[in-house]
Amino acid sequence: MTNSMNDIRNSKCVLIVGENICTSHPIAMQHVLYAKEVNKAPVIVVDPRFSKTAAFANKHISLRQGTDVAFMYGLIGVILENGWEDKKMLAERTYGLDVLKEELKKYDLDTVADVTGVSKETIKELAKVYVQNSPATVIWAMGGTQHNNGTSVVRAFCLLQLVTGNMGRSGGGTNVFRGHDNVQGATDLGVLSDTLPGYYGLGEGPWKHWANVWGVEFDYLKSRFKSDALRESSGLTVARWYEAVLMDVKDLGQDTNVKAAIFWGHSTNSNSQMDRVKTALEKLDLVVDIDPFVTNTAVLPDRKDGTYLLPAATIYESYGSVTNSNRDVQWRDRVVPPVWEARTDLDIIMDFAKRFGFVNDFAKSVKGPWGKDTLVEDIVAEWNIGMLSIGMRGQTVARMKRQRDNAHLFDVKTKKGTSGPVKGEQWGLPWPCWSETHPGTQVLYNPSIPVMEGGSGFRARWGDKAPDGSDLLAGKGSLPPGSKEKGGYDAAKGYATDITGKVIDEALAKGLNPCGNGRARINAWNLKDDPVPKHREPIHSPRPDLIVKWPTYDDVKDLFRVPTLFKSLQKPDWAAKYPVILNTGRQVEFEGGGAAERNCWWLVELQPEMYAEIHPELAAKHGLKHGAWMWVESPEDTDGKPSRVKVKAKVTKRVPANMIYLPFHWGGSFEGKSLADKFPDGLVPYGMGESANVVTNYGYDRITQMQETKGGLCRIVKA
Amino acid sequence: MARMKFYIDTQRCIECGGCEVGCKNENNVPMGISRIRVVTVGEGETGETNVAIPCMHCSKAPCVSVCPVDALFTRPDGIVHVNKQTCIGCGYCLYACPFGAPQFPTSAPFGARGVMDKCTYCAGGPEEPQSAKERQLYGSNRIAEGKLPFCASVCATKALVAGDAEDVANVVRQRVAQRGGTDNAWGWNQAYPTR
Repeated sequence: MTNSMNDIRNSKCVLIVGENICTSHPIAMQHVLYAKEVNKAPVIVVDPRFSKTAAFANKHISLRQGTDVAFMYGLIGVILENGWEDKKMLAERTYGLDVLKEELKKYDLDTVADVTGVSKETIKELAKVYVQNSPATVIWAMGGTQHNNGTSVVRAFCLLQLVTGNMGRSGGGTNVFRGHDNVQGATDLGVLSDTLPGYYGLGEGPWKHWANVWGVEFDYLKSRFKSDALRESSGLTVARWYEAVLMDVKDLGQDTNVKAAIFWGHSTNSNSQMDRVKTALEKLDLVVDIDPFVTNTAVLPDRKDGTYLLPAATIYESYGSVTNSNRDVQWRDRVVPPVWEARTDLDIIMDFAKRFGFVNDFAKSVKGPWGKDTLVEDIVAEWNIGMLSIGMRGQTVARMKRQRDNAHLFDVKTKKGTSGPVKGEQWGLPWPCWSETHPGTQVLYNPSIPVMEGGSGFRARWGDKAPDGSDLLAGKGSLPPGSKEKGGYDAAKGYATDITGKVIDEALAKGLNPCGNGRARINAWNLKDDPVPKHREPIHSPRPDLIVKWPTYDDVKDLFRVPTLFKSLQKPDWAAKYPVILNTGRQVEFEGGGAAERNCWWLVELQPEMYAEIHPELAAKHGLKHGAWMWVESPEDTDGKPSRVKVKAKVTKRVPANMIYLPFHWGGSFEGKSLADKFPDGLVPYGMGESANVVTNYGYDRITQMQETKGGLCRIVKA
Repeated sequence: MARMKFYIDTQRCIECGGCEVGCKNENNVPMGISRIRVVTVGEGETGETNVAIPCMHCSKAPCVSVCPVDALFTRPDGIVHVNKQTCIGCGYCLYACPFGAPQFPTSAPFGARGVMDKCTYCAGGPEEPQSAKERQLYGSNRIAEGKLPFCASVCATKALVAGDAEDVANVVRQRVAQRGGTDNAWGWNQAYPTR
C-alpha cells in the first residue's frame, strides 16, 4: 500500500476493485465505513459478484472477470477527454503520458462497454464521481492481481491515481490489501525467488552487499552455489514449483529436477492445478511439512514414506517483529512457551543450520555472532543495517517496544503519536524509515511535507534520463520542502549499499530523500510486452470473439525456470465446452489453506461444508436444488483430462447467472473421496471438503507468474 | 441507575462472525448453542443487511413475564438472567421472546429440552461472582471486572454497541447525525415509504 488502512478515513471516495473487505479484511472495514459515514464518501465496489462489501457500497458495478485494464482505461479516457486530469502531477511527476494516450485510442467507450460488460453511462458517471470527490483511493486485492496480465492491472490502477493526482496524498494512493499475517514482512525480507532481502535482486552487487552485512566473504557465498548462473537467476515460484518435479529436465531453466520440498506455513491447496501438485508430491523423494497443523500437503499425495511433519509453534508461542499491510512494523510478544513438542520457526531454522554444518557463518552479522538469548533482536539489528534500499533502518527493537508500550498515545486517523516519548512518530514506523530520528512514512511519495516528517517524491529508480532522452527527474515545482535543491534530483549515490548509513544521513541533513525525487513511469520501457498496460483476455476467455483483438502473451520458454504457456492455451473453443465462469475467493471464517481454521470447531460450526455459489437461474438449468451435490469440471489444459471437484450447490443471487464461485480454503477431500484416513491419529480436522484449486485453470501472470485463478472456465454436472 | 443495553447497527454489521466465535470462546458455549448469531437478510441483493442478535435484555422482558417458575429475572442494571437451578425447561420463554434468544441444549423425546441457556451480557449469573460454579453454569463475568460483553469488545466495525443505555444512545445519536438522517434505522423505508 502507498497509504495505510487508517488513511482511508481521509478519503472522499473509495473505489474497491477485486477485493471483498468484509470477508478478507473485516477489521479494515471500519475505516471504509468511517469514510462513508463521516466524509460522505461514495463507496464503489467493482466486482463480478455482489460481495458482502458490495452490500455496503453506494454503487456496485459488475464487470466481466479479467477486464480490469479495459475498465480503468474507460475511466481514464473519460477523465482525459474532459480535461479532469491533474495537469501539474502529470507534467512534473510522470513520464510517458503520450504512450498511454496512444494506447487509449483503442479503448473508446463502446469497446470498453463491450469488453467489460459495464454500460457507457456507468463508466461516465463513475469517472465524474471519482474526480468530483477528491482525494479518492483505489483498493484492490487478488481480484485485481490473479490474471495473466495481473501486473498490467495493478499498473492501470496506479495510472488512474496518477492521472487524477491522487498519488502521494493522504486519502488517496494505491492500496492493495495484503492477505496474510506478516506477508508484507515476508516479502520485504525476501521470501521471493528473484531477490535478496530488501528487493536488491540477485546480481553480483546485491550478493556482495549482503555478504558485507552478514560478515562473510562473497567468495564463500559463491562457493555454496553450483554455478554463478544459477545463483543470479530467479528461482522457482510457489505457483509452479511442481513443474520442476514433473517436467523433462531439458525443458527447465535448471539442470536437475526438484527432488525434495519443504513446506513452511504453506498449504498446497493454495496452488492451482492441484492435481498436478498431487502427482509432483508423489514423485518427490522427500516432503517436509512444517506447520502447527497437518496441512493438505501431508495428506494429498499417495505416499507411503518420506513425509515428515514438523510441528511448528504458533504466533502465540514465539515473538519478534511483524509487518502488516500498512508497512507498519510491530513488536509481538510471546504469550506462552511452545507447548508439547512444537518448536518456533527460528529454532527449527537454527537447528537446520547446525545440522547442515554452517551455523557459525549463518548466525552472525557484520556486528558479530547472534546472541543466544537475543536471536530475534540481533536479526532485526541485521536488517536495520542491510535493508537500506527501502529504508528499514530506523525500526529498531527499542523503538518498536517503545511504541508497543505507548500504543494508547497514537491517533487512529493519522496514526501519529500525539504526546509522550512517541510524539510525532508514525505508528509502526512504516518504511521508508531512514534513521532512528525519522518518524516513518505514512503516505508514500508525498512531496508536500519535509523528508524528515515522512515526505518524498517518487523514487529516482531509473536514473535521470529515459532511453528516449526524456527527463526522469521530477519537475522544478515538485519536491519535499526544506531542501536547497530545485525540483528533481537523483538518488544519493550508494545509499542502499553503504552499511555505515553515512550516505543516508548526509542526504537527510540536506533535506533530501535518499532515493531521489524522480518521475513515476507511465511508460515502463523495460516491460517489453506491455510498456503501458494492455487489456488481455483471460487464457480461458468466455468471449472467444475478443481473443483476436485482445490476445494474451506469446508462450514463454523460461519464466522462473519453467516453460509457461500463454497463447497456445488460449483456445477459442474453451468457452463452448466450458460455458460457466469460475471464480474463487475467501470465506470470512477461514484463511489461506484453512489448516488452522478447519481445526477450530467454532469456525467449522459456522461454515461446516465446502460449497459452490450458484445463481438460481443456472441452478434451475441443471436441476440443482439448494444443497444438492454437483461436479464442477475444469478444462483439460496441459494434462489431457478435465479436473473435477464434488461440491454442494449454494443457490444464491450473489453470483451472476453465468458464474460459479468456490471458496478456496478447503482440503481433506479429493475428487469426491475423503482423505480422512490419511491424517495421523486424532488429527483429522473438523471441517473437510474439496479444494477449489483442483479446478482453477492453467494461466499465469506474464511478469510475476501469479496464478490466474480469477479468470477461468468450468462446466457443471449434476452429481 | 445504569441500564445495560445492546444496540446493533445494521448499517455496520458485516457478518464477520467475530461476536459469535468470541462469545463461544469466552463463555465456553457448546456446539449447537448460539448465545448470539448473525442473520443476513436479502443475501446477494441490493439492501442486503446483516444483524447480530444476542439477548436484547428487554426493559419489560416478555420471557420474565411468562416464566412459570420465576427462573428469569431482571437485574437492577437491566440485565436479564436465568437461574439455571430453578429453570424447568418448559420453553415458554422461547415462544415469548421476539429475538429467539433462549437456547436449549438438548432435544429429547417428549419435548424434554434441558435447562435454558442464553446470553448473560457476559455478567455470569445468580451465583457468587467469578466463582467456579458461576463459570460452569453461566460462563464468564466480565461485568464484574468492569469490562464490556466480549462480543461488543471484539466487533470489527463497532456495529455491536454495548454499555449503559445513555452512552449507547449517545453513540447512536452521533452516528445518526453523521449519516444525516433516519436512514440508519433499519426498516424505516419500509415502515414509512413516503419519506
